Amino acid sequence: MKKLFKIELIKIWNYASFRVIMILHFLLFLLVIIVSSQIDISVPGLTMKNLFQFPHVWESFAWIASWFNLLLAVMLILLVGNEFSYKTFRQQVITGLSRNDLIIGKSLVVLLVALYGVLLVFLTSTISGLIFTRGLSIAMVFEKSYLLVVYFIQAIGYMTIGFLIAVLFRNTALSIVMYLLYFILIEPIIRLMFPREARLYFPVKIISNLTPRPEFLTIASDEPMLDASGHSNLDLNAIGIVPDPLPFYLTILLALAYIAVFSSLIFIFIRKRDI
Amino acid sequence: MTILEIRNISKSYGKIQAVKGLSITVQKGTVFGILGPNGSGKTTTLSIISGILKPQTGSYRWFGQEPSKWLNRKVGSLIEIPYFYPYLSLYHNLKIHCLIKDVPEKDIERVLEITGLASRKGSRFDTLSLGMKQRLALASVLLGDPDVLVLDEPANGLDPEGIAEVRNIIKLEAEKGKTIILASHILDEVEKVCSHVGILKWGQLIASGKVNELLVEDDTIIISSERINELHELLVRAGFVKTSQCDEQEITLTLADEKTPADLNSFASKNGFTLSRLEVRKKSLESQFLELVR
Repeated sequence: MKKLFKIELIKIWNYASFRVIMILHFLLFLLVIIVSSQIDISVPGLTMKNLFQFPHVWESFAWIASWFNLLLAVMLILLVGNEFSYKTFRQQVITGLSRNDLIIGKSLVVLLVALYGVLLVFLTSTISGLIFTRGLSIAMVFEKSYLLVVYFIQAIGYMTIGFLIAVLFRNTALSIVMYLLYFILIEPIIRLMFPREARLYFPVKIISNLTPRPEFLTIASDEPMLDASGHSNLDLNAIGIVPDPLPFYLTILLALAYIAVFSSLIFIFIRKRDI
Repeated sequence: MTILEIRNISKSYGKIQAVKGLSITVQKGTVFGILGPNGSGKTTTLSIISGILKPQTGSYRWFGQEPSKWLNRKVGSLIEIPYFYPYLSLYHNLKIHCLIKDVPEKDIERVLEITGLASRKGSRFDTLSLGMKQRLALASVLLGDPDVLVLDEPANGLDPEGIAEVRNIIKLEAEKGKTIILASHILDEVEKVCSHVGILKWGQLIASGKVNELLVEDDTIIISSERINELHELLVRAGFVKTSQCDEQEITLTLADEKTPADLNSFASKNGFTLSRLEVRKKSLESQFLELVR
């Protein structure tokens, strides 16, 4: 395992595209956070500041980080696609690695990149929370910190799908196109063909829903918009700005199950097909 | 001692049968050449024994055992063109190979010295010439000083100087007692480097043996004498000739089994013919090869 990790480190640290994508990921994430922190919505019932305060900062920063998971997945497709186009997977089997080692090596990269994402969200959330939260308490800080783990699973999920597509198509450009098409077009269209309840169980839907959109519209204000009878007129389900009503634990379990299935498929394809 | 035993392996790509029931045995210390025209199954065979391809039928054993991870340090394989990371330096590329083979990093310096690449160890792979890339591939194969080298077209695409360099490295390694399995299009190379040869056609082994034996077989004899037609008839009647062609000046023939040029000379002399010319033209491996694969 240590040997495989060392090999992968040599490959990625010296790969300019890897460095560029990681720097880009870092800068884009920071840019969105800095820009959004400057936005001050003063509509009654809404405030952006809650997004940057404990405990909501875990949720909002994990959600923002999830926008850039596609970038991490594209980077993984590049790394795996390179192995096929340079025929270095083939060479490494000739030199002495097993096919399982090839998969384990790349899985370590997935874990490393996902950990980097978690660290980024952790550090920025902590700094933001400490700066913007008033009346700080330990309980408040850790209340939604489990979302770091959820983000970790989500980042792994995005990259595992990228890994699988790269193994299937063995061509970097084609794999990236297919990956984006699947996320943006193919699965959403397929979902439309199914009943509303069934749409929630598709892999991209499940993995995307791991980091729900922040509930700032409901939690942000101490004075929610109420009608004369004291009820809110805002039907959040109807306008589609709240997470789909699948229990959160079930979403996590299904995401883990999908990751397991996709990982198994990667093992099967690498083991059964010529490389 | 048997180093490699291939038993009845077959591999097809769709409808194309690349290797068909192939069996080969390679003994320790031999330099075994695999010859064959394009598409004869050389690379497929070497890819199978290197673990990249899976045979559909048959099996192979290295050192009498099923192939496993410990082979890394005993067998170094170079299949087709060298595959390295173009953006990595020679040193980093070889470091990856060292980690895979569990070879100490210091061995990189040794193999770079052997292959004459020590001064370029910091250069990116994609800045190397074809010859240098091929030498780097040999360097990677030599890491850990394996007992067996499997080389597929090691001089492919090289200029004469590059071919000579690669050939020299192979010869030096053979002199150290390594077993080498070499596939090549360059028949002259096989003739000069190999002790044994197997000839493939349509994925099947059609001839195999020591290079010297294959060369001795069916040498061409050219003789001249007075009364040349009479001598020709006599030799045919006496069963000396396998194939022959006679013109007014000379007879070109191949000798029947167990007959030697000395026997022929003696026989002619006893029957009153004085040979003014007796030339033995050893058949080149190339002509032997072409005859077999046609």
